[in-house]
Amino acid sequence: MRKYLGNKTAILLFILPALLLYTVVVFYPVIQVFYRSLFDWDGLSEAKFIFLDNYKRLFHDHIFYTSLYNSAVFAVIIAVVQITIGTLLAFAVAEVAMRGRKFVRITVFIPVVLSITVVCQLWLAMYNGEYGLINKLFEVFGLSYRQDWLTDKHTAIFALAAVNAWQYMGYHFALLLAGVKSIPESYMEAARIDGASKMKAHLRITMPMLGETYKFCLILAFTGGLNAFANMYIMTSGGPGTTTYTLTYMMFRSAFRVGEFGYGSASAAFLVIECLIVTLIINKLIARDPIVY
Amino acid sequence: MRKWTLALISATMVMGLAACGSSNDNKDQNTANTGNQAAGNTAAANEGDTANSGSTEPVKLRIYAQYADEDTKGPYDYAVAELKKAMPNVELELDVQAQDDGQKLKTYAATGNLPDIFQAGLDIINTFKKSNNILELDKYADDFKAKIQPSAMNTLVTDDGHIYAYPYAGNEVAMLFYNKDIFTANNVKVPTTYEEMMAAVTAFNAKGITPLALFAKEKWPTVALYDMFASRLEPAGITKLDKGEAKASDPAFKTAAEEIVKLVKAGLLPKGATNLNYDQAAALFHEGKAAMFLNGQWEIDASTKALGDKLGFMYVPAADAAAYESAKLTFSGGGGPGGYAVNPGTKDPELAAKVAAFISEKYAEFKFTQRGTPMVATKVDAPVINKFPPVMEQLSKDIPNMKTTAFSWGLSNPKFKAAIEDAAQSLMTGGYSPDDFVSDVDASISSK
Repeated sequence: MRKYLGNKTAILLFILPALLLYTVVVFYPVIQVFYRSLFDWDGLSEAKFIFLDNYKRLFHDHIFYTSLYNSAVFAVIIAVVQITIGTLLAFAVAEVAMRGRKFVRITVFIPVVLSITVVCQLWLAMYNGEYGLINKLFEVFGLSYRQDWLTDKHTAIFALAAVNAWQYMGYHFALLLAGVKSIPESYMEAARIDGASKMKAHLRITMPMLGETYKFCLILAFTGGLNAFANMYIMTSGGPGTTTYTLTYMMFRSAFRVGEFGYGSASAAFLVIECLIVTLIINKLIARDPIVY
Repeated sequence: MRKWTLALISATMVMGLAACGSSNDNKDQNTANTGNQAAGNTAAANEGDTANSGSTEPVKLRIYAQYADEDTKGPYDYAVAELKKAMPNVELELDVQAQDDGQKLKTYAATGNLPDIFQAGLDIINTFKKSNNILELDKYADDFKAKIQPSAMNTLVTDDGHIYAYPYAGNEVAMLFYNKDIFTANNVKVPTTYEEMMAAVTAFNAKGITPLALFAKEKWPTVALYDMFASRLEPAGITKLDKGEAKASDPAFKTAAEEIVKLVKAGLLPKGATNLNYDQAAALFHEGKAAMFLNGQWEIDASTKALGDKLGFMYVPAADAAAYESAKLTFSGGGGPGGYAVNPGTKDPELAAKVAAFISEKYAEFKFTQRGTPMVATKVDAPVINKFPPVMEQLSKDIPNMKTTAFSWGLSNPKFKAAIEDAAQSLMTGGYSPDDFVSDVDASISSK
């Protein structure tokens, strides 16, 4: 066995098919995006090389800054909500004494498997300014806090983030639950013998030991947030005006509504870099060796 | 015994295969003519055994057309039925147009999979022209040119003097409809000036009635409303901005934005208007919950059905009575070149062009005779089946003296179009200042 593992040719040979596939479907398109971002191109006619002009224009475009801000808000909200609630639920469900564990496990995960279109339509009805459930709830409680959730430029992005946070909460919950379950019982027992409370044991033992899982969840939530598109596309079409644009939406607008594929590629390229940076930062922040039990 | 069974089964199978084969051949024969090289072979092989071999060879053409609702299915079905009578050898294979700003079509073009005939607006024409994806129809268009209404010539010939698509729609306009009953019952005067408009908005709000239903989730109605107000002060409306002949900071365009913001803040639109689609907004108007409604003149049919004699349309209010009188016949709308275009790569361009022209003509005929709209591109000889609704009669009287802006379906600068759509939609929220509007729109014009 060792002989094979040391054989570089053998390694290359076995990796080659996967590597080829990865190159064709991931690496090549990414390179294409960077390459195309240097052109003035409408997707059909001859492209004109303009070097970094698209990027210069990007930094002078106010939609770009709106998009950056929105992506950041979106990413932070979904990361915080999904991971916090996911953690709390995972701890609760891991508790053997808790009743209805199975029920919680299933119900929290259901939205994850629903189509995003279905979820968006559902929330569109709930957010409706005239007859939506949310405003009706305020009414029931006698509060006069009625809002145009999706058409007010200040609330719209938060309303959209809430939908995404709600939908994919179950996914993070499942990941974290798996993480919690993989921690050997003996650690908690030791803590209990030493007189630590449940809360303290989770804070001091479970959470640090979930470092790897948290890293994964954070990267997932942040890059997912920065990439957000479907919610805006279905629920607000980027509106009102350009107030719920994200970089992905901006790319879509440039390429498909205005017909500037080069400029769209520039925003896509920027998005790739942004996601890479965020991933690197998260990796740096939670830098630790994986724990082996 | 076993041998016999085997033989029987084989015989049945052979016959079955033969039957399948022949029906396949028929199918092949149809597709063959769209560009298959096997055309000659298959046709030759089938010679004599097909019943439909007339004097002309059967041809199948792929067509990319709107086919989503009553308004688009009706004319298409009619045109296809007429085509069957006039050119029985031509069969159309429908590819339903997606509501996607032409993305599907552009993808088709980029991948060399463009249908033989497709519906093209001005932005598609401009993009495809550069990449040679649209056939110049000048030499095929003489017959069509003879049939077009002189007033609709602008929908046929593009700025460069060439013809790329056969129009059917003519110069369509956006209109402000209103419910006469709601106005009289609440003692509100049909507004002619900004002040009267404001008074109407306040009065309706006090009664819990939505003043103006607008489906602002689609962006063009918001641009139409803005264009209406702009056209009170600048007869060419936003066309001037589109062509780069004016700036949004010019008084006419800025005032229009200011007036709209004032009205919106006073409660002109229903709650959450920028998230209302056509069905929701139309329901408000049709059910008598909204006093006014903005849509194209094609709405006349649906609103007449819902409201009958209660339906009226108003001229857009202006600064004062004098301005109102001088500008009232300026409508937001008009038209730009667009209609059925032909793929330059089609096998028989002459035939495809002929079919495209025919389809456009029949579309216009259907709209004129059955939908009761006189606003079509070509002259129609056929008698009117569905009488014009009263509002249409009234509009028809204005048509000879009507002036139009070019507006959305005639805008040619995609960057400006996207920017004004976003900016106009923002105006409808009330939380967007006229200054922001001006700077956003101007940015798109200067970066043309």
